[in-house]
Amino acid sequence: MIERPFMTGKKVLVVDDEIHIVHVVAIKLRNNGYEVLTAENGCEGYKIACQEKPDIIVTDFQMPAMTGLEMIEALRKNNETAVIPVIMLTARGFAIEDKQKESLRISDCLSKPFSPKELLRTVEDVLHEAVVMQ
Amino acid sequence: MGGAVSSCAGMVCAFAGVPIFTAAAGIIGIAAAVTAGYAYTCIWNKVEKVSVKLGVPCGAGGALASIENVIEREKVQVDKLRSEVDQLNIQIMLSQRQRRNTEEIIYSIRDAVIVIDEGEQILLANDTLGELFDFDPQAGKGKTVGQVIKCPEFTNILRQSKDSKTRHSKHDITISKPDGARIFSCIISCIYDEKHNICGVVSVLHDVTREKEISQMKNEFVSHVSHELKTPLASITAYAEMLADGEASDEATRTEFYSIIQSQAQRLNRLIEDILNISRIESGLVKISKEPVSITLVIRDSAEMIKSYAAEKNITVHAQTPIVFDQVMADKDMISQVVINLLSNAVKYTPAGGQVSISSEVNEMDNIVRVLVTDTGVGIPVDEVERVFDKFYRVKANNKVAKGTGLGLNLVKQIVEKVHDGRVFVSSKQGQGSTFGFELPLGVRQSS
Repeated sequence: MIERPFMTGKKVLVVDDEIHIVHVVAIKLRNNGYEVLTAENGCEGYKIACQEKPDIIVTDFQMPAMTGLEMIEALRKNNETAVIPVIMLTARGFAIEDKQKESLRISDCLSKPFSPKELLRTVEDVLHEAVVMQ
Repeated sequence: MGGAVSSCAGMVCAFAGVPIFTAAAGIIGIAAAVTAGYAYTCIWNKVEKVSVKLGVPCGAGGALASIENVIEREKVQVDKLRSEVDQLNIQIMLSQRQRRNTEEIIYSIRDAVIVIDEGEQILLANDTLGELFDFDPQAGKGKTVGQVIKCPEFTNILRQSKDSKTRHSKHDITISKPDGARIFSCIISCIYDEKHNICGVVSVLHDVTREKEISQMKNEFVSHVSHELKTPLASITAYAEMLADGEASDEATRTEFYSIIQSQAQRLNRLIEDILNISRIESGLVKISKEPVSITLVIRDSAEMIKSYAAEKNITVHAQTPIVFDQVMADKDMISQVVINLLSNAVKYTPAGGQVSISSEVNEMDNIVRVLVTDTGVGIPVDEVERVFDKFYRVKANNKVAKGTGLGLNLVKQIVEKVHDGRVFVSSKQGQGSTFGFELPLGVRQSS
């Protein structure tokens, strides 16, 4: 694996209403040098994203109060959060159409059950791409 | 009629014959007289088909036989024609009856049926089609489809099928009705004559609205269930990978991961059990072991079980039961599942800090035990209350409050009504809370 030391310390927001999923993702990312923020629904996720301006967001699709897609729509409408890369972690991969994925600028979608290792790689890839694009 | 007749004996006789007519039946006989020394009178009656001969036979008998032969041949011919006419009349009658039967069959079909000719004129349309397109099928006969059916989608399909000479084709069309749009499966078949030219088109429209709804519900169910199954599975695989990769740095973390894997596996198992239980009850394959069960004890045990879940949301659970005989003949595990499902639902849809109460009452007059579970939760919109016990049904407005499969309440209904001959009911006020309940027949008190 290519070493990407510049990723250390990057801020990741993990949004999921399943506390065990949030917990395992957070541990994996923290063990690999990331700072992790968590939220249990889209509404809370949006608020934290606006306040903390994370470098990347990992979010579930179906959540109470505000779904992952609704949260991303809200983020894209806000200038301060419009360009934050988002990875979707969902048990309903088929529910997101390519067109929707493109228009909401969703960087990648991972299906549940997922591999924490694969999620970590995806987070690194997306962040790397974002840095290169800058 | 008259003249000379030569007999076989060569004797010339005088002959006088008079045909007998009636206006309705034409010639019905001949009256004849022959004289040659002896008088001979003959009346042939074709109706009775006998010759009545009067007088004394004379030498002119041979001549008379000749006349009789002619008459007989005519008679045979007339009989033959008459028989053919009779046959034709029978055939016409049979054809008419057959046609009436065929039309009756078509009219009695619940699907809408229409038959048009090559000029798009309506040859036949049944009442269902008339109701569907709002016209009188009898009055519509002979008119073109475009004149009476104001549904361009359907008339265009008929025309296209006729023009393209497609033998059979199937289309789904949506027809707007005052009570909402309905979907029809429209099968169109072209009718060909002996020269293989199209001489008509027949179309049958079958209402598939309900089938489409069920199909959509099934798709949603598969989607819900796969999501619900994948969620605990996702935890299990993720924590197992973390353990395998050495991401749990100390013993306490490892223990925590093992514990999560175990609880998620149990959650997965419960979900699968719910699905299987509904399926077993529906198919009648479930094993039921009924015994005297005290509702009070079931309520106490269930309330105790749910308290830790309620405590996570800071919800208090009150249980109130009367000290009376409240035994029912029931499968204890199943009834416990009913009470737990109702309690966990109440907690699930009640905001933090709310209250859930469970109580029972015995109605000795009606010989029933009634259990009520009341919450201070989000409630159910009026137009959806009736559907909450439907399989896979989820209240749309509450989708965002909590996740679910739409199976829990259906399982409650199946257990109470199908297995225990009881009854479930619900009342709710949106924003204020709901009361779910069930009634079971009271068991027979054992004499001591």
